[in-house]
Amino acid sequence: MAATVLENPLREGMRLERTAEPCVVVILGASGDLTKRKLMPALFRLAQARLIPAEFAVVGAARTAMETDAFRAQMRDSVAEFSDEQEIDTQVWESFAQKLYYVTLDISTPADFKGLGALLEKVDREHGAQGNRLFYLSTAPQLFAEAVKQLGVAGLTKSRGWVRVIVEKPFGSDLESARELNRRLHEHLEESQIYRIDHYLGKETVQNLLVFRFANGIYEPLWNRQYIDHVQITNAETVGVEGRGGYYESAGVVRDMIQNHVFQLLSLIAMEPPASLDAEAVRDEKIKALTSARAFTAERVRADCVRGQYGAGAVGGETVVGYCEEPGVAKDSTTETFAALVMYFDNWRWSGVPFFIRSGKRLAKRVTEIAIRFKDAPHQLFGREMMDQVAANQLIIRIQPDEGITLRFAAKVPGQVTRVRDVNMDFRYGSSFGVQLAEAYERLLLDCMLGDPTLYARTDMTERGWEIVMPIIEEWARTTGGVTFPNYEAGTWGPEASDELIERTSRRWRRP
Amino acid sequence: MMETQSKSNDDAGRVGGVDVAGLERQLASRWRETAAEEVGGKSGVTRVCVANLIVYASAAEARPELDKLLEEVAAQTPTRVILLLADRGGAPRLDASVSTRCRPALRGRRQLCGEQITIEAGGGVIGSVASAVEPLLVPDIAAFLWWKDIPNGEDKLFSRLVEMVERVVIDSAAFDRPREDLSRVASLVASRGEEMRLSDLNWGRLTSWRSLVANFWDVPDYREHLDALDRVEIEYEPSALAPKDVAAQALLAVGWLASRLGWQPSGRRVEDEDGLRVGLASGGREIELALRASGELGVGAIRQVAFRAGAAEFRAGFGAGGATVETSAKIGDAPIVGRVVAYEAKSEGQRLSRELSILARDEVYERAVAAASRLIATNAAGGI
Ligand SMILES: NC(=O)c1ccc[n+]([C@@H]2O[C@H](COP(=O)([O-])OP(=O)(O)OC[C@H]3O[C@@H](n4cnc5c(N)ncnc54)[C@H](OP(=O)(O)O)[C@@H]3O)[C@@H](O)[C@H]2O)c1
Repeated sequence: MAATVLENPLREGMRLERTAEPCVVVILGASGDLTKRKLMPALFRLAQARLIPAEFAVVGAARTAMETDAFRAQMRDSVAEFSDEQEIDTQVWESFAQKLYYVTLDISTPADFKGLGALLEKVDREHGAQGNRLFYLSTAPQLFAEAVKQLGVAGLTKSRGWVRVIVEKPFGSDLESARELNRRLHEHLEESQIYRIDHYLGKETVQNLLVFRFANGIYEPLWNRQYIDHVQITNAETVGVEGRGGYYESAGVVRDMIQNHVFQLLSLIAMEPPASLDAEAVRDEKIKALTSARAFTAERVRADCVRGQYGAGAVGGETVVGYCEEPGVAKDSTTETFAALVMYFDNWRWSGVPFFIRSGKRLAKRVTEIAIRFKDAPHQLFGREMMDQVAANQLIIRIQPDEGITLRFAAKVPGQVTRVRDVNMDFRYGSSFGVQLAEAYERLLLDCMLGDPTLYARTDMTERGWEIVMPIIEEWARTTGGVTFPNYEAGTWGPEASDELIERTSRRWRRP
Repeated sequence: MMETQSKSNDDAGRVGGVDVAGLERQLASRWRETAAEEVGGKSGVTRVCVANLIVYASAAEARPELDKLLEEVAAQTPTRVILLLADRGGAPRLDASVSTRCRPALRGRRQLCGEQITIEAGGGVIGSVASAVEPLLVPDIAAFLWWKDIPNGEDKLFSRLVEMVERVVIDSAAFDRPREDLSRVASLVASRGEEMRLSDLNWGRLTSWRSLVANFWDVPDYREHLDALDRVEIEYEPSALAPKDVAAQALLAVGWLASRLGWQPSGRRVEDEDGLRVGLASGGREIELALRASGELGVGAIRQVAFRAGAAEFRAGFGAGGATVETSAKIGDAPIVGRVVAYEAKSEGQRLSRELSILARDEVYERAVAAASRLIATNAAGGI
């Protein structure tokens, strides 16, 4: 760790946001898609916003042979293509580009890491990066453990400053592999050095969940079994597998979405108030919530879980092929592209409250939202004819797109007779704060540089996610359970069984 | 923008009060009209209001500019604006009108996000106009006063409005006697204490400079040089309102450094065609502070700052054309670390809007103004 630094008296009272410490960001997998699309545009914007200091550099590494100049040119194109920057000033780009380097490196070749080490020493010296290093593992997940091992063997997991490693998703492909990955990472790294990314946590609305729940006094008293009837989490995509059929075949929606992203949302809704906003305090409460999630047994999988796979259909007016016709997908694939589950938390707060979760590809609309459905008023004063258009009170937290919060309640329709109708009280980020929301990757990269792991997944969280879904994965792998795929048409809200799952309890899915 | 007038002078020329309920009714009908225009009208109009903003300006103020600025504010921060136009020398009068501001929201849906009540007051009415403002404030949300004039603690209207709001915004770039006016602000701050939270748009303009400067010493290896500075140079554009004076922004910058780093005047002071150089003392060390005006007349913005500590030099300044900022840190023979980043000039509307998001008392600003005023007061004995 870095020695304690004298306080900077000029920093006090500064209204500007937090600025990262000097560092070199090393991207393993720098010739890949994520670097182009997300990482480099995010780093460039952070530099422009001066949220990272001048004492900063990026070293890109991958097997592709490339000169630093070619890498710089390639990065310029990606920043132009994938960021909102209208026009990039040549001088500004040149100044940023001077801080970019590229080295050819194969993760399976130890000698290459010696070369990386030497380059890092030089870059660090020239840019005054103070020995701080952030390694970003942006390669295929099979290489994560090996990359960290090679970094460790080459002595790069230690430095005169701090060393942190961001691990991309997916984190393992089942409980066993996630545990094994954690074990192998811990052979060379302290837990405090490991940042497992879940880009959902970088989204403004997700962070707002904590604020919404714990900065307001009025919701917390209602946030329990006394007042909440049930919770619905919808995580719907309109896209198919987008050319990643090969990967998706070995994953499916439970592995790809539910085990990580959806469970992050779920834990934020279900958690108890943390004692402080300290990273460990928040993460302790999140894991505690997931620990009380009722386990899925084979029987519960059959009763409370529904799987689906899309067939041909139309999304947004465009006809699309079924999952099995996608490139890289087996004609008789049994991979699920949709899942709906009912979860329960066996604790005082949530006892008996069902959490309905659905997630899938090629659904009717791209939306991620959490709907909290409150109980009906205990005694209905207004007769059926007056209440023609009334549902119960609902609080809807939209994560994407159009981030915001809506509260639905009943109001009297103006007129001589009493008629009651639902109205929405709507809060939208876009219209209340006239600012552009930062990209998730910007926030997360900055947090890592600042050493704040709150929005990253801890070991126990990654393992607990897998623990919960393993019985589902295993049961579904063991038997088709009489389900024949495809069982939903692209552009709909999933298979009928999903509706039946919730209607069995006399409830219905919301139309988001 | 749609407007409705409500005259408060009767035909005999007597001045009545402002019809608060009437103004609220007119605004409500505005909202209804817009709601009706919404396709389907299902979700109704989203009416958001996060702050009250009272703007005090002279009736002689150029309206188009002010309107444009308030429009920009509305686009960023949905507010109820109460614009108070004062004609202090004019005949007694009191007129009010309402207007609403719309801007397109996401996906082309129309979104109403700001409303404005304009009160024009003349002559003796001005002293009591605050009583017409108070009932027009939207309850439960913060109120801000933008006092587009030099603040004067003796002025009754100013004092009454200050009591109504959470925060007062001024702009020291508009001072035509920066030294005296800044000192007046300092005494006002000292006398009101916690009662008046003050923002200065000019301090906002200085923020990015302060952060550029502070950035240097966030770097652990550079930190020691901050305690060993021997020369500080600040270059600024002369203010069009007071071309001969040191610009208010530069005075604030010096006040900030002096208050944060404990600098005192040492008695040495030279003023010539190169600008002003004063000696400052800090823990037995003497620091030379050079203030230099250069370039065209403007709002008195800082153009460049440079710090020296023996063989270490730190510099931040605008690039040619003012669209970029360049920084460099040079420590002895080590490679120079620097960069060029785009400088996105904020519009005045954006700056004001930014102030509306801040409620806390800015003690760093208050101390900077106090330190600047102390250095100004010791002018002859080596101050600024
Ligand atoms: N793309 C996205 O939008 C996205 C979104 C969320 C998560 N992710 C995750 O981010 C990671 C990277 O995704 P991606 O889409 O960028 O993948 P990709 O385009 O396939 O890039 C993989 C990178 O790894 C490098 N690589 C492969 N084998 C290597 C080896 N032996 N040694 C060194 N480098 C090697 C590749 O370069 P060479 O062939 O030149 O070696 C390439 O730069 C994955 O874990 C993915 O799940 C991506």
